[in-house]
Amino acid sequence: MTVSSLAVEQKPCFQFKANFLPCTVLQILYYNDAILEQQLSSTLSNSPSFFTDLPVIIDLDKMKSQDAFDFAKLKEILLANKMILVGVRGGNEAQHLSAVQAGLPLLPASKLSVTEVKPTKKEEPVVRLTKLVTTPIRSGMQVYAKDSDLIVTAAVSQGAELLADGNIHVYGPLRGRVLAGVQGNLQARIYCSVLDAELVSIAGYYLTKEDMLKSPLSEGMKQIFLDNEQVRIEVL
Amino acid sequence: MTKIIVITSGKGGVGKTTTSASFAVGLAGRGFKTAVIDFDIGLRNLDLIMGCERRVVYDFVNVIRKEASLNQALIRDKHIKDLFILPASQTRDKDALTLEGVAAVLEELSKTFDYIVCDSPAGIERGAQLAMYFADSAIVVTNPEVSSVRDSDRMLGLLSSKTKRAEEGQPPLTEHLLLTRYSPKRVARGDMLSLADVNEILAIPLLGVIPESQAVLRASNSGDPVILDKESDAGQAYLDAVGRFLGEEIPHRFIEEKGNWLKRIFNLKERETV
Repeated sequence: MTVSSLAVEQKPCFQFKANFLPCTVLQILYYNDAILEQQLSSTLSNSPSFFTDLPVIIDLDKMKSQDAFDFAKLKEILLANKMILVGVRGGNEAQHLSAVQAGLPLLPASKLSVTEVKPTKKEEPVVRLTKLVTTPIRSGMQVYAKDSDLIVTAAVSQGAELLADGNIHVYGPLRGRVLAGVQGNLQARIYCSVLDAELVSIAGYYLTKEDMLKSPLSEGMKQIFLDNEQVRIEVL
Repeated sequence: MTKIIVITSGKGGVGKTTTSASFAVGLAGRGFKTAVIDFDIGLRNLDLIMGCERRVVYDFVNVIRKEASLNQALIRDKHIKDLFILPASQTRDKDALTLEGVAAVLEELSKTFDYIVCDSPAGIERGAQLAMYFADSAIVVTNPEVSSVRDSDRMLGLLSSKTKRAEEGQPPLTEHLLLTRYSPKRVARGDMLSLADVNEILAIPLLGVIPESQAVLRASNSGDPVILDKESDAGQAYLDAVGRFLGEEIPHRFIEEKGNWLKRIFNLKERETV
């Protein structure tokens, strides 16, 4: 049997698989065996089963400026507390050397160590721009101002429709349908100079042209708003 | 630069084809090489109004489908040598028109013609949208009654959004209002909307008012566009409108009852400027 035929017949005896093992990072803030041993055992006594056979990485990110210390002793303490040591990361060269001497593998440093705590961005005040329309809105056209107010400086024809999540202002003749607060904003209002609309609505409450003709209003700027689930029109 | 004019209205029967024929004749009569295209595929009428129905061999759809060349399909007008008619197909429907096909025909016409008049079908569907898509100017034909005015308003909305100029963010096309079948007598009686009423709703520049006239029906039946009937009020009104379209200052006529119209125009003009 030749070597090549051997290679063909043999089944692969291993395969690489990507995996993400849950692993706890033990970050050393300063080193003192006695204190470490004491604090560790008191922490562990609260929930001993959680820490049993827990894979642990020793992180020396906060220890960079300090000297090497006794890794053999540290290893002993952790093993005594039934943790499984995976390796060491961070720290300086002297620390790395003594870690290797104690038989601890070095792991690549955490990417997070580069990005220290970022200053949180100050929240910008949210300014929602009002939608402005300056050209006539013709029959069949629909204009919707999402999350904002709507201002129209031209005529709104019969059969046209204005919608806004906020307030609506119309400075040309208003002859179409106009619906403010369509997402349910009860505070939304409609302002117009010439009110000849087919329908006005605030948050779903509405008046038709027929309703409006029943109580004719005098000339002038009108304000349309919701008062106790009733759409009211008021001359300003 | 070739100018493409669409004659549109939304509503049917208001005088689009009559206007297309008279406008095309008027422009060609001024010495501009003019083509007039019937976009009303399936309801061919322009050839009748222009009096060339017996000479139709190929049509617009044949050209779009490359079954005939443009020169084969164009019919020379019997009155004016600079005027050509591209008739619609009577046997197809409006889906036979494609955007690419219309674009190709207009582009080829643009090489030799000064004005291309597109006679739009009624409605707001494909035929009407293609007729307006490439336009530089729109003449909105409206009758003085509410449904026509509302349909015109709808067309104006489409003109400002569904044209090549609008979609490509170019300067908008110029809009002109042509009020047809106007009867000052009936306006005075209150059974017809007045020019001021229409103006208030549509608010676009007035190109002209064509009075209700027996001459229009007579012209349609005889196949001679009414603009050629220079004795008639409607014919004169179209001549005026063509002049205004070309930038001439011509006072409006036929908008008040005969007798004191001059005085009233003056009042109207004042009202318009307010």
